[in-house]
Amino acid sequence: MALEVKFYSLFRINLKTKGIEYQQESEITITELIKKLDQDFEGYFTQKLLEKDGTIARGTIILVNGKNIFHLNKLETKVSDGDIVTLFPPSAGG
Amino acid sequence: MKAYLKRQQKLFSEAQQQRLEELNIMIAGIGGLGTNQALQLQRIGVNKIYLYDYDQVEVSNLNRQLCYGKKDIGRLKVEAAAEFLNEFDLETEIIARNEKITLKTEVPEDIDIIFDGMDNFESRFILDQLAAENGLPFIHAGIEEFFAQIMLVLPESKLRLKDVFTGTDRKELPAVFSPAVTVTASIQVLEALKYLLQFDEYLNEQLLHIDLLSNQMEIIDLK
Repeated sequence: MALEVKFYSLFRINLKTKGIEYQQESEITITELIKKLDQDFEGYFTQKLLEKDGTIARGTIILVNGKNIFHLNKLETKVSDGDIVTLFPPSAGG
Repeated sequence: MKAYLKRQQKLFSEAQQQRLEELNIMIAGIGGLGTNQALQLQRIGVNKIYLYDYDQVEVSNLNRQLCYGKKDIGRLKVEAAAEFLNEFDLETEIIARNEKITLKTEVPEDIDIIFDGMDNFESRFILDQLAAENGLPFIHAGIEEFFAQIMLVLPESKLRLKDVFTGTDRKELPAVFSPAVTVTASIQVLEALKYLLQFDEYLNEQLLHIDLLSNQMEIIDLK
């Protein structure tokens, strides 16, 4: 059992991987998870997921077990082993 | 069965083919996705297609919106699209509605499904709410660069588009071009048919993510 983070779209192309797993027995917030991801991917996720003031950037989706964190506890949403976090910029055009 | 549908006869049971030829579809937004959806739905022989848009054809539409050419610039999209489709002289009835979709839009009573042909999430949320209030299924698609996502929202579903896509609209216009738009609209039509014709598997509280750069399609569970 691990905390699974999945990347899609440009995130996957840019980082050349489908995602990453962390052994995370105790709960961490999405903010803390982004810091962990930044260590592994050279600050990529702060740049993509957060505004300069630290709020969630428009134009990306953060799902925890299929639910948008906007409808959970936003960046304070807690995750740990067994959870799936999905990250991608959704396609808006038509 | 209509004579021109003979080559698709083996794909469906008699009941499915009959149902297919009785389907009435609402396409909201006759742009890149919408024109492609209309072309596909007419080809497979649905009964009726309602085209909804309030815009006029612009030169920047022509790289992907397959019902229009240079001669149509400045014309109402729904009129130009209906004229283009009717020239094929197939039996699907095409009804043009020059209307902006709002929460007050009166959805025709004989509709079986609403197709998302919009180009921004704000409009899509309104469309999804309209589908929910009218007890209709709604099939969403969005396309940008080489990536797309498709989501079928069933009438009884508590999980709506807003629940997944809140916070995703951006200011800049997304980059879109014809091959990727056509693939996305075709898959959208296929996914809608799987549900409407009662195939065993269809998207249910799932998101289909399409990556045309890496040739990968994956289902993201939303439950």
